[in-house]
Order: sequence, then C-alpha cells, then structure tokens
Amino acid sequence: MAAHPGTSSSSFPVTSAPAVLAHATHARAPRGLLRLCVLLPLALASLLAACGGSSGGGGTSSNTLVFGAPVSLTGSLSHEGTDTLNGYKLWAETVNAKGGIKVGNTSYQVQIKSFDDASNPTTSTQLTRQLITQDKVNFLLGPYGTTATLADETIAQQYKIPMVEGNGAAHSIFAKSNPYIFGVLSPASEYAKTMLQAALALPTPPKTVAIISANDSFSVEVANAAKAFADSNNLKVTYFQQYPANATDLTTVLTALKTSNSGGVPDMILGSGHENEAIVTMKQAKQLGINAKLYGFTVGPALPDFITTLGGDSNFVLGSSQWTPQVKYQGQDVFGTAPNFEQMYKAKYNVEPSYQAAESAATGLAFQFAIEKAGSIAPDKVRDALANLDVMTFYGELKFDASGANVTKPMATIQIQSGQVVTVFPSDIANAQLKYPTPAFGSR
Amino acid sequence: MPNAQILVNWLLIGSFYAAVALGFSLVWGIMNIVNLAHGSLLILGAYVAYFAFTALHLNPFIGIILAMLALFVVGWLIQYIAINRVIRAPLLVTFMLTFGLDLLITNLAQQFFTANNRAINSSLAGVNLTLGAIVIPVQNVLAALIAVLLTAALSLFLARTRTGNAILAVGMDRDAARLMGINIARTYALTFALGAALAGAAGAMLAMTLQFQPVDAGQYTLFAFVIVALGGLGTPWGALAGGLLFGLATTLSGSIQAIGPGLQTTVAFAVLVLVLVLRPRGVLGKAFYS
Repeated sequence: MAAHPGTSSSSFPVTSAPAVLAHATHARAPRGLLRLCVLLPLALASLLAACGGSSGGGGTSSNTLVFGAPVSLTGSLSHEGTDTLNGYKLWAETVNAKGGIKVGNTSYQVQIKSFDDASNPTTSTQLTRQLITQDKVNFLLGPYGTTATLADETIAQQYKIPMVEGNGAAHSIFAKSNPYIFGVLSPASEYAKTMLQAALALPTPPKTVAIISANDSFSVEVANAAKAFADSNNLKVTYFQQYPANATDLTTVLTALKTSNSGGVPDMILGSGHENEAIVTMKQAKQLGINAKLYGFTVGPALPDFITTLGGDSNFVLGSSQWTPQVKYQGQDVFGTAPNFEQMYKAKYNVEPSYQAAESAATGLAFQFAIEKAGSIAPDKVRDALANLDVMTFYGELKFDASGANVTKPMATIQIQSGQVVTVFPSDIANAQLKYPTPAFGSR
Repeated sequence: MPNAQILVNWLLIGSFYAAVALGFSLVWGIMNIVNLAHGSLLILGAYVAYFAFTALHLNPFIGIILAMLALFVVGWLIQYIAINRVIRAPLLVTFMLTFGLDLLITNLAQQFFTANNRAINSSLAGVNLTLGAIVIPVQNVLAALIAVLLTAALSLFLARTRTGNAILAVGMDRDAARLMGINIARTYALTFALGAALAGAAGAMLAMTLQFQPVDAGQYTLFAFVIVALGGLGTPWGALAGGLLFGLATTLSGSIQAIGPGLQTTVAFAVLVLVLVLRPRGVLGKAFYS
C-alpha cells in the first residue's frame, strides 16, 4: 500500500480527480458536465483499482503463498467440511511455525483462504472461480466430497492452477485427463476391498457376503469394485442391491438380504454408503433379528458418532479408513508420525482427528514438497513437481499415477472393539487382532 | 413366509409415516398453512426425547410425552409471535415464513447440537417376537400403536370436545366463528401447538426406531407433504391412510424383484401422481376439516 502512490504510473487518478472537478466549474455547463460524467467515474475506477490491487495482491507481492479452499461449513456436509478445513489450518500453522515453505533462499508463509460452499457443488465452483480471479490465490486445495471435487477440478484446469485434494475418491475425478488434479487419498476401488481382504485373511473366513449400497455414483463404484473382488476370491455374493441414497428405512433391503442365502443370514454384510445409512442398517438389523458374523461399512465406523449413536451394537463392526492415528509411517514432513499429528490436532481442536482431517493436512504437505522441489512458485512448475512426487509422510506415501490418483498408499481396515476404534488390517500397520465372529445382538 | 414379514414391515413403517404427517395435516387443514417447518419441529422433538433418555435416563415412551409437551410450548410461541401476524396474508407469505423458520431451527439445532447422528438405544430395542420366520420388533409395534392412538385421539378431540369443535369451526369459516365468540388467535395458537406436539411425538418415535440429525428435517417435511396429499386433508384418518399408502408403495415396490429398493421412492411419488390424477382430494379427503 505504501509503495503504490509514490510511483509515477499511478499519479494520474489520484491528482486528477480534484482537477476535473475544478475544471468543470469553469467550463460551459454542457461540455463540463459531459467531461465530468466521463472522467469522474474513470478517476474513481482507477482509484478503486489502485486500492484493490495493493490490498488484494498478497498472493504474489509479499512472501506469502495463498491456498484457496472452498469447504462445506454449513449444510449436510458441514461435519466433514469442518474437519477438512481444520486439517488445512493445522498444516498452515505448523508449516509457518517451522519457518514456512522454502523456495531457494526465500521463505514463504502459508495462508489459507477459504469460503463456505454450504454443501452445494455449484456454489463450490463459483467460489473456486472467485478464489482464482478475485482473491488471486496461488494454489487450490480441494473441497469436501466427490461431487464438489468433480465440479471444481474443471475450474482449476481452466485457469491452469494445480489442485491437490484429499476428499474426493471417485474414479471419475481422475478419468478426465485433467493434468491439474491430484488426490492424496486412496481411490474408490480400495474402500471395500480392504475389508474383504481383512475378512479373507481370517483362519476361517466368511463364505458368503451381501453387498448393499446407496445409489449415488461413488457408493455404486465402491460396491461394484467390492463385488468384482469377492467374485474373484471365492467369496459368494448372495445379495447385491442398491437403495436410494439417504434412505431412512432399510427394512425392505434387510428382509430380502436375510433370505438371499439358502443357509441362513449371509456370513458378512457389507454396506457402501453413508454414515446415516450404516446406522439405520445396524438398528434395523437388530430390530429384525439379523445376526451376521461380520458387518462392514465403507463410511461410518471411523466417525465418532457412529459409536455414540449405536452404543454396544457398534462393537465388532468393521470400517475402512484412509488413515488412522495408529498407522506406523515415518514421514519426512512437518508432522513426522501419525501419533504426533494426532497430538497436535487434539491440542488445537480438542477432538480426535478424523481421517478427513489427516488427508486434508496431507494435501498441504504434497504442495509443500512439490514447491520446494520445484524451487519455484510458478503453477506449471509446481504441477510438474507434483506429478513426479514420491515422499513418505505421516499419512502414508504420496505418489501420483498419470491420472493424479494416489494408488500407492493402502487403506486401513478398522474395527470397533469395546467402544474404541482399532486398526486390524493390513497387519504391518495394525495394532489389534480382528475379532470374529460377531456375537448376536444383545451380547456385544 | 417373507411375504408375512413384508406385511409386518409395511404396517410398522406406515404407522410411523402416519405419525409424521398427522400434525402437518391438522395445521394445513385448519389454518391453510403448509408448514415447511414441520420437519424441523419433528427433529426438535427427537432431540427432546434423545436428551430425556441420555441425560435424564427416562424411558423413551415417557420421552414421547415430554417431546409433545415441549413442542406444544414451542408451537404455541411460534404461532403467537410469528404466524399470527401474517395469518390473513396470501399462502405464499406463510410459505416463506415457515420456510425461514425451518432454516432457522435447523441451523440453530446444528449449531447447538452439532451435525452428529443420534439415536436412542434402549434395552427394549433388541426385543423381538419370533413367529416362525417372522420377526416382530416390540418397540416398533408399541410406537405404531401410539401413532394410531394419537390419530384416534385427535379425531375424537375434534369431534367431541368444545375446543375441538371451535378448531373445526375456525377451519370452516373464520369470520363466522369469530362472530360466534371464538377467540381466533387463541384457537390458531392451540391448533399450531397441537400440530407441533404431534410432530414432537413423531420425532421421539424417530429417535427410538431409526436415527436423526438436523438436516433430516427437510426430508420429513417432504414425507408429510406427500402423505397428506395421498391421504387427503379434512380428517386425521387421512394422515393414517396416506401414511399406510406411502409405506405400502415403498415397502411393496422394494420387495418386488423387478423394481427393487433403488426405485422405491420413485414408485411412491408415481403413486402420488396417480392419486392426484384420479382422486385429487386424496384417498379420504373432504372439502373441509370436519
């Protein structure tokens, strides 16, 4: 701000506005008025531009890198969206406390600029555009959820600004040959597979499985991958059914599921959907007396309110998780290890970090490593560095394939045991044994 | 045998749907207000029952009574403070007002109670009667009976009591009722409060048998709207008929192999279109709420 008025190029609007007014009073009325009408708005516009330019130019002029993020702080995704923003903020604070991002001899402080998209993908794209064109952010962090990510990545591509996201796992996000999108999380195909692998690794594995899924594209994609995996691993799929997303009543599905297997209830019930549906599945399974040997849900068990809502009935339930505080990676990043991240997160927010928070923090780490490796803050150079990135972090390995997806990091299978979430698979990162089979409702 | 189970599932969910729509039907029929805040009042009732169970350790069925009492007060206040001021305004104004109230209540609930999913887990939840291959969850049966009882009680109250008759009279002709000495503002407040109390009862049943979070409000308002349109305005039994019909459409279509659960909402709305074409007043609809 201080440097601007002194430069010669900007002297015209500042000095000419009073001059125009003075001139107008002397000239003949029509001509003067005309000139006033033309020149005054021009002068005001340049004044505004001068002010706007200096206050909003933090992205490029000072040693601050601005990361734009449209996130859902209200509406149906507010829960996950808040975790996402918390992860971004913790990363920014931690990086800044450790001296910022180093590019050559310059250290850049990190600033997160975020807006609430109200859980609306259309709003999310508008905010992404606004972040790029008006707020002049240097880079983009992803929104929450597949739908918003799908919409926002096209804006990133349009303006050639790299976006690293941690909350959209659908194949469709990476199937668009968009060179500017990178996802740190494991893709959709892995979500249910990890639970089936965990089940098949048991001494006496389940022989039959019922797979139910919500009918949104992500849940269907996960369910289809699960069915393909079960089919090729001698696990008989006795029931494979979609229901409407956000269904409040699943008795019909559960009644059909119960009789789908000639030898009684299938050994395993696998749900691909959302937390509320997972809770309804468990509540109504109890009401209808459906006792399987194993229950697994892609979304739900990892979230704290799954346990508080279901109480003892949540025990023995499997879930898949992008990350747990128990994973044993030795990272080169500012957090280092999962327990360290957990401790810092709890110190700041007073809650356990969800995997959404961890993967969101990991998106920042990907940028940090790529920028430092590129030795530049030019979007294209950073993009190229992201494409060739291969680093270990507290969250797992960050390495992107040609489509921008992270296929290197495995997913974890968690189980709720005595009201606590423990990691049971894969064995090299597990901190507990998978408990099997599940006792009947009422004795868990 | 699975057919008998489908029948049980239908009766249980259909009665719950009837409870969801009962208060909505009363408010729409008497006051000509499409109460878009109905779902959020229902969710408030669910929270009352939830906290009565978790914090006060009360039986969830006592929670239903508490939810009704609390929501009666909330409904009375909403009517007295806000809705009475625009009661003679066109439908669109009350539409906008209740829509605003819905946003307000839902977002306040999200602010104070968080977006976490919640449910009541009583010891009764796992108690079933088993008849051969049919499983009948006792708690859901009790909730369904309460839903039917509430419908009968509302019907008797309107038909047999002085206050109930006053409510009907105001619904038929506001100005004539006023000339007969009925206090219109108080009758409206009572009607809205009753509607809210019934929403509260449905919310308590929701917390007991399923689960809830603040943003579910919109879905239950939609359900109530569809059920009332199906069953017809004009009588509390319309809500019951609509609830059972809506439950039948979802349960049956979901159980037929060729349709499947993925399309059950689609089928329910198709039935709505069909009923509106063939019998626009709904199955049991009358011209007046009488």
